[in-house]
Amino acid sequence: MQSKLSDIELIEQVLAGNQAAYADLVKRHQRFVFTLAMRYAKSREDAEEIAQDCFVKVYRSLASFQGHAKFTTWLYSIVYTTAMTFLRKKRVDTDSIDDEGTFIQVESQASVYDVNNAENKSRSFYLSQAIEQLLPDDAAIITLFYKGEQSLEEIAQALGMEANTVKVKLFRARQRLKEKLERNLKHEAKELI
Amino acid sequence: MNTIEEKLWSYIDGTCTPEDMQNISRLIASDESVRLKYQELLAFDKEFAAMELDEPSMAFTYNVIEAIRTQEAMVPLKTRVNKRIILGIVLFFVVSLTGFLVYALSQMDISSAKVPDIVSKVSVNVKLPQVNTHISKPLVEGFMFFDVVLGLYLFDKYLRRKNAGQLLSKK
Repeated sequence: MQSKLSDIELIEQVLAGNQAAYADLVKRHQRFVFTLAMRYAKSREDAEEIAQDCFVKVYRSLASFQGHAKFTTWLYSIVYTTAMTFLRKKRVDTDSIDDEGTFIQVESQASVYDVNNAENKSRSFYLSQAIEQLLPDDAAIITLFYKGEQSLEEIAQALGMEANTVKVKLFRARQRLKEKLERNLKHEAKELI
Repeated sequence: MNTIEEKLWSYIDGTCTPEDMQNISRLIASDESVRLKYQELLAFDKEFAAMELDEPSMAFTYNVIEAIRTQEAMVPLKTRVNKRIILGIVLFFVVSLTGFLVYALSQMDISSAKVPDIVSKVSVNVKLPQVNTHISKPLVEGFMFFDVVLGLYLFDKYLRRKNAGQLLSKK
């Protein structure tokens, strides 16, 4: 059986003209890229558009990937810039993305929709719900830290920030997430009583 | 670092100095409230790490590859033609023509009025038409008029294309 190729090996194959290798690379990272896009877009359709745009951009600029940083760090920086560009285009007649209320409103509609499906609600559901209520940057930093296998320095590189800023943002994001998770769980407990 | 919570998160992440690690370990062991906070944060840390990733649609990879293929197909032909091939063709013709010219010049005997050997050896029996009899003044004027009109038409076309390009770049 053929052993699993590394990202760099797949990139070399793509640059040699093997497009199937790029499909493998997309399959490998699509879940994380899509999740990261969801942190900014808040709708599956928009997140898919961002993730797709991102993979097309990556393909086009693959030759310029120097390999100084991890491929994932480079990939996530492209997700971030693509998401920002997408949001800037979409924000023409909507609220600011820094307005936390915008996302709480969106989420509250989803909560009402899901409220009757109590049996399916698990801790992971409440965690996802709490993450959706965070600011996009907070949600992205938490996702990159816990699921992206990225160090603080690598997150800083991907988001174009200082490592110390990321550390402070991560601390605050975790605090907010903890508060929201606790609040959602308390609210649910009250409903059950 | 300010609060004990910040210190504990750094301790959990392993981002503090070895000295801080020792101090915090000691604090956790000796202080009951710190130990409880540490356990609480550790539980949250495990929960955060267990978050699930979202799944895109089944056709996601296919859509990406299709988008790439579509974009590649849309690339103008002139950017896809290898410039080296064009240069190779140009070089071939330049070398061939130069070779023929050099060969022809080397066969010519410019100093004498003699007909070159190559011409004398070939028995040419071609009767050239007498073109001079057909060239009249109205024909030349008509030809010149046609050339001027053609020149103006091509110049107009060039200017139109240039203006259209400028308008597009402004948009």
